[in-house]
Amino acid sequence: MPTRRLITHYRDDLALWPDMWHRVGLVVAAVVALGYPFLVSDEWLTIGNLALVAVVGSIALMVLTGLSGQISLGHAAFLALGAYTTAVLGTRLGLPFFVLLPLSGLVATAVGLAVGVFALRLEGLYLAIVTLGLIFLVNHVLLGFPEYTQGLTGIAVPVHLWFGGDGPGLASTSEWFGVTLSFERKLYGLFLLLAAGCAYLATNLQRSDTGRAMMAVRDRDLAAAALGVNPARAKILSFGISSFLAGVAGSMFAMQQQYITVDPPFNLLLSVQYIAMIVLGGLGSTFGAVAGALAFTMLQPLLEQLGGALPLLSALTRSQQSTVLFAVLVLLFLAFEPMGLAGIWLRIKRYFAAWPFRY
Amino acid sequence: MTTFLQLTGSGLALGAAYALTALGFVVIYRASQVFNFAHGEFLTFGAFFMTTMCAAGLPWGLALALSMVATGLLGAAIERGVLRPLVGRPVFVTIISTIFIGLLLRELIHAVWGADVRGMPTPWETTYGFELGGVSILANAVGAIVAGALGLGGFFLLFWKSRLGVAMRAAAGDQETALALGIPVGRVFGTTWFIAGAYAAMAGIFLAMFPRQLDPNLGLVALRAFPAVIVGGLTSPLGTVLAGLGLGVLEMLAQGYINPALGELGQGFHEVFAYLVMIGFLMVRPHGIFGRADVKRV
Repeated sequence: MPTRRLITHYRDDLALWPDMWHRVGLVVAAVVALGYPFLVSDEWLTIGNLALVAVVGSIALMVLTGLSGQISLGHAAFLALGAYTTAVLGTRLGLPFFVLLPLSGLVATAVGLAVGVFALRLEGLYLAIVTLGLIFLVNHVLLGFPEYTQGLTGIAVPVHLWFGGDGPGLASTSEWFGVTLSFERKLYGLFLLLAAGCAYLATNLQRSDTGRAMMAVRDRDLAAAALGVNPARAKILSFGISSFLAGVAGSMFAMQQQYITVDPPFNLLLSVQYIAMIVLGGLGSTFGAVAGALAFTMLQPLLEQLGGALPLLSALTRSQQSTVLFAVLVLLFLAFEPMGLAGIWLRIKRYFAAWPFRY
Repeated sequence: MTTFLQLTGSGLALGAAYALTALGFVVIYRASQVFNFAHGEFLTFGAFFMTTMCAAGLPWGLALALSMVATGLLGAAIERGVLRPLVGRPVFVTIISTIFIGLLLRELIHAVWGADVRGMPTPWETTYGFELGGVSILANAVGAIVAGALGLGGFFLLFWKSRLGVAMRAAAGDQETALALGIPVGRVFGTTWFIAGAYAAMAGIFLAMFPRQLDPNLGLVALRAFPAVIVGGLTSPLGTVLAGLGLGVLEMLAQGYINPALGELGQGFHEVFAYLVMIGFLMVRPHGIFGRADVKRV
């Protein structure tokens, strides 16, 4: 069982990047992330953008499920709310993207807080199924007002740079010091900023008293209550934060896709995919959520290529092939590496930190 | 009034299929505390297996029995292969693994049987029906209700009167104590999954016969049966059966009366309505009608 490093001082426990590993890793990650859009093809740039959306979305789910232990199958509903807020308000009022991003988050938060209040009385499976119902409800409402959401046909998402939607949009391509800034590259920059901000927020949350209260509630809510933590507050708060971030992720997704429909993508499968990301990465750690989201989105196209080469699978469509391979991967991870990618990373770190001794 | 009776009648038939579906969840949950999200795929598998058996020229009854056995074996294999190693891990892990088993099964069913819609063979004329007090009833609906009643009766006999039933209840109560008293808990789990699989096949076959046809998305019906499981209480077979029947009637009545009244928003409202009722219900009784609250200790 890989363990965390030994902490001997409260200061170390609170440090944001406590040791050399974190600092070096962060610098490498930053260099790779900044260089990425200029080094890869357009196809992979799109995948990169989607990966950043997934990072924000999985951090959102990590706060809810990883930190406070509330099992939610309704993550797709919050993403749908965010995406549709962006699309509808962008079309109707011509709001710019920097207003729409937080606004989408707030709309999702409103619903998330309401669900959070409901969730206080429920736990485990009951909560999972109620949140599953939330997907059906939200999708039903979205489809039930076609004059706004255009129902089954789907809706285009305009990305405005400023109020009123005039002037050069984000969608145009521009030159800047000899570097071509296409729409996708600009989005990448914006998304990278948002994803990094989210990761920072989640890490900070984890080491604050709020985050610790959430973890205490996750581990044993009665004991937490006896020690003076307010479980209701922790649960509702985590629902609020999670749904806000999910709304933002939905908004980002809408901007990236530029045309969205209700189902697919906003169905149970999407929720399950997000759950898979945080499980694959390692439950309850920000690193896990980020790694899981990146691995999930980046593996998808690779798995599709692999699927074509396997005998029985070649009868299926490409997305089905990747679903099958991915399901197998997740099951193997659950059985053999419960701590996910974060666990593997911890083990590697321990090995080198203790070298030449075994532990 | 006739409309009401008509809707109630078809609601009961649908409800019988829901009840059979929901019973599969409860059987597994009672014994092993696993909520099987792959159950819907068991329905689909059973129904497709049935069409293959019938196409091979087997008599209907034998084909039904064979599909039940086959689906049961599939269930037992999944329990042994995937879920047994996960015993003792958090609820979360089993939820996710069953969801992914479901995804996997679904794609495999796609690969084997294709995506075409098929008719489910019936021992009587497919559209045969009769009049009763001004209400027309399909033979398929009666078949579903009768099969449902037989299946449920059989289960209650097994659960309350047989040695296996005692073992199942013991394993559900406390795994370690049951093991210490010489009950082969592992084998009980396997048997439970076998039974649940067999019921799933039956539910799938009758669902594919009566309210809809057989296509690879049949399993999604299990999602619609969730409210019945939850409202009935996860641990109570009787509550689930009652809630399943109620759900069927409610869905049909909502389709008949509420949907038209809501205009544009009413399209497909009956599918969501059950969830709304469930959420409202859970606010009053968080553990369903007959479910018991867990006693928690620090």
